[in-house]
Amino acid sequence: MRTRRFAAAAALAVTAATLAACGSSDSGSTGGTITLKFQSLAFQQPTVAASKKIVADWNAAHPKIQVQYIQGSWDSVHDQLVTQFQGGSAPDIIHDESADIAGFAKQGFLADLAPQISGEVKSSIPDGVWQTVSADGKIYGGPTLLQSYVVFVNTDLLKQAGVTMPTGSTLSWDSFQAMAKSLTTPKHYGVGWGLKSPTASVLSMGLNFDGKFFYTEGDKTTVKVDAAEQEVPRRIHDMIYTDKSIDPTSVSQSGGDVLPGFYAGKYAMTVQGSYAAQQIVADAKPSFHWAVLPILAGTSAHQAADPQTLSVSAQSKHVAEAGQFVNYFLAADNLAAVAQGDWLIPTSAAAQSAVAKQTGGKDGWTATLATGSQLTEAPFQQVADYPKWKDQIATPALQQYFANKIDLATLSSKLSDGWTQVGG
Amino acid sequence: MSSLAEVVDPAPASAPPSRRARGRRGARPARGGREAWLLVLPALLPILLFSVIPLLRGLTLAFTDSRAGFHVPTHFVGVHNFSRLLDNTLFWSSFKIGLIWAFSVTALQFALGLGLALLLNQPLRLRWLARTLSLVPWAMPPVIVAIMWRIMLDPTVGPISTTLQRLGLTDSPTNWLGDFATALPAVIVVGVWAGMPQTTITLLAGLQSVPDSLHEAAALDGAGAWQRFRYVTWPALRPVVAAITSLDFIWNFNSFGLVYVLTAGGPGGKTMLPMLFAYNEAFRYGEFGYAAAMGDVMVVLIVALLLFYLRSRLRAAA
Amino acid sequence: MSALARRGRLVRLPQYGALALYMVFLAFPLLWMLSTSLKSTSELVSVTPSLLPSSPKWSNYSTVLREQGLAHSAWNSLRVSLASTVLVIVVGLPAAYALARFRSRLRSAALGWILVSQVFPLILVVIPLFLILKQVHLFNTLPGLVAVYLVWSLPFALWMLQGYVAAVPVDLEEAAAIDGAGRLRTLSNVVLPLLLPGVVATAMFTFISAWNEFFFALVLIQSPERSTLSLTLARFLGAEGQVQLGPLAAGSLLATVPSLVFFAFLQRRLTSGLLAGAVKG
Repeated sequence: MRTRRFAAAAALAVTAATLAACGSSDSGSTGGTITLKFQSLAFQQPTVAASKKIVADWNAAHPKIQVQYIQGSWDSVHDQLVTQFQGGSAPDIIHDESADIAGFAKQGFLADLAPQISGEVKSSIPDGVWQTVSADGKIYGGPTLLQSYVVFVNTDLLKQAGVTMPTGSTLSWDSFQAMAKSLTTPKHYGVGWGLKSPTASVLSMGLNFDGKFFYTEGDKTTVKVDAAEQEVPRRIHDMIYTDKSIDPTSVSQSGGDVLPGFYAGKYAMTVQGSYAAQQIVADAKPSFHWAVLPILAGTSAHQAADPQTLSVSAQSKHVAEAGQFVNYFLAADNLAAVAQGDWLIPTSAAAQSAVAKQTGGKDGWTATLATGSQLTEAPFQQVADYPKWKDQIATPALQQYFANKIDLATLSSKLSDGWTQVGG
Repeated sequence: MSSLAEVVDPAPASAPPSRRARGRRGARPARGGREAWLLVLPALLPILLFSVIPLLRGLTLAFTDSRAGFHVPTHFVGVHNFSRLLDNTLFWSSFKIGLIWAFSVTALQFALGLGLALLLNQPLRLRWLARTLSLVPWAMPPVIVAIMWRIMLDPTVGPISTTLQRLGLTDSPTNWLGDFATALPAVIVVGVWAGMPQTTITLLAGLQSVPDSLHEAAALDGAGAWQRFRYVTWPALRPVVAAITSLDFIWNFNSFGLVYVLTAGGPGGKTMLPMLFAYNEAFRYGEFGYAAAMGDVMVVLIVALLLFYLRSRLRAAA
Repeated sequence: MSALARRGRLVRLPQYGALALYMVFLAFPLLWMLSTSLKSTSELVSVTPSLLPSSPKWSNYSTVLREQGLAHSAWNSLRVSLASTVLVIVVGLPAAYALARFRSRLRSAALGWILVSQVFPLILVVIPLFLILKQVHLFNTLPGLVAVYLVWSLPFALWMLQGYVAAVPVDLEEAAAIDGAGRLRTLSNVVLPLLLPGVVATAMFTFISAWNEFFFALVLIQSPERSTLSLTLARFLGAEGQVQLGPLAAGSLLATVPSLVFFAFLQRRLTSGLLAGAVKG
């Protein structure tokens, strides 16, 4: 019996010790040194390395203000932020994107960064991009990296089909569709397009035809899906079902999942975010030859500028210091390093030229950087209920349209009526 | 339990008859009432604080406009959330999907589990290996089950699609989890896979509680396998079946982690289980009151469906 | 040979066949994940995958442990699961004893609550829990999670434990009492040893449910350094499915190891009356 009592006591002691170990001190400062939590969503290895290096450099230069790097994930960042803001446990420096962060800014969770942004940084980033992260005269996020949707092509299959590589600064949608058709053979499709999450790409490329989707008059915002907005979805639908140049299986997959088929030669082209280049370089065999086509254009080559952002939580105890770190991150060389890791376009002109110099333009960099100038602010970024509309209305409706379950007219009405249902 | 009984029972022959006559298991009359309270107290406090109170609070949250935001005040709004819910076609669609999912998974789990239990009850070789393997899904966290099946069902690199293609059964691979027609069935298969062990083991325990002598007697009387099952096994199994299928149904209806990672409710809401939908409402869009209203509706309907079960179990337990 | 056994011989072959099919269904996905965990990225993107990796890449395991903080998450899961299990037994055993031995209104209420708490969708509880934990400064802490797991494992644990206690005849306690043993000594010398198998089984189930738990952790734990294993692995999946599948599979397998070990150990006991609680409950 004594052994049993002893065992019970031991177990309790272990538990107590364990629980004590669990409660780690969370204070942001010890003896004058401030510790800031920086949650980064970088997931590609070179980008993670570049981000960590920036943190290390900062820590070395600022012994009194230490930054702690925390890994987050794009998939769950929105839910996490909702809970973290509500629970008061948000990191000091938050990595997100402008379309997602707009709602939190409206709820008052983000600090104004204007005081900490240096003049140099402010002038090197175009005003249009600053618009995407400002509201009511306040800047609630530092725009870091831009992404555009580009077309990757398997140059070997291109040669086989006898199609010439397009030159020129842009590629019209009509030419793109024609190319896709000539590249479709019994052995492979012309295009593999991962449209599992179609809303962002459709809305962004909608700007190619001046399709804005969101129209604001005063206080009220409505969703209108007229001819301009219908261009991109209609063309994609035609490519899948009329031209049969897009692999229908790829349409229900996510962008990244489509890449193995691309390497295996199942489709000659694939439309991806520019960051996919990093994976192609890492995963495809050296015998795989690829290139980036000129950016797609309709009446214009505009796409939505939806920069990744670094924001500071309004609940942070050290807003000023966190803002200083954001400003540091936006310096040309730092942005250039992170951009290269991700194959994304840095927002500042200085960083863009740094990237051009450092990469020599190869691996599709020239074409990618060229798309940078086409990125402009889009209406959907400033709308607070966009995430809900995207999840509940737009994504299911577009998925159904691309699966040929509904027609274009139904899609249009679902998108516009859905906005009123969501409470917009 | 039989091993325990053997250990516990004093040698029948030597015990004085009077004591044995009084022998009974289970409960004593209520004279130890205060003692009972003392024993239960350490459990009672955390239960009140972290279970009963949050439950009550959660039920009432549905009548407020509680939402996420920096110092946003909460107001009582009566049944406003519920009237909003009536028009919310997406919620009712997810509720329907939840019912389809729960019924299908429970029924398939039971059918397959019974089959496996019957097999495991037979004196087959390598039974220990089969029994261990049949526990594998139970040992895996639902998140990992989902990850694993996502890998399996990938249309381009997953073994199922590539094997079907190699066998020539199909030339264009199906995206099982992404295609509108196959998503819910695929998710149901994964649900059954994940839930089989619990059902199998419970049924196996039930099967083993039927003494061999009964089977022998029936066989001697000329009963075939099917008749033996129907008249000997099944009656003994019935209470277990009722218990485990009802529990399975509740657990399945309230399932979250598996489908969250498998499909996040897609494509186009085809696998959006009610728990997922309510979770999104609360933690993606910050509508706490509205999500609580959804929870309330789910509770009411589930309880209505299972009232029979609750009543019968309470009567048996009390 | 018994009548049963003689009949049985004929049906053996199809029975083995059916069993084999079941085993493939149950075990193949796990095998595939094992294979995935040993493949390199270039092999993983091949459209002609094979079960056997061309050259096992054991480094996937060290990658996932080192770089992705999985070892730390596993440590978090271990602490939380152990703590909740110990607390559940310590708090639950006396309560289960009371429930089994004393017939009172409390017993019916408790059993009612046990059943009812199974029905409630967690979404109802998690928002108020979130607010309550925030008030007592336990939000986003591991002890807070342990408190929640304790309360939410209690129903099933109580149900199992009280079944075991009920199976111990009262006569034994009365006999010991008559022999002059005090109450406490009766309980610890006589009853506890008999309950040990049941306690062990309940502890194992509680441990595994805490280890596997996802929903509460998802909402109540927000810092990656306090993440539990399931949480870290779920968040691994990243944006647009771009993820290192090899290390992810390796990490997933590692996360299954404790439960598999328990189950292999428990396998024989499981069918010999472990679920007496559920059957007799």
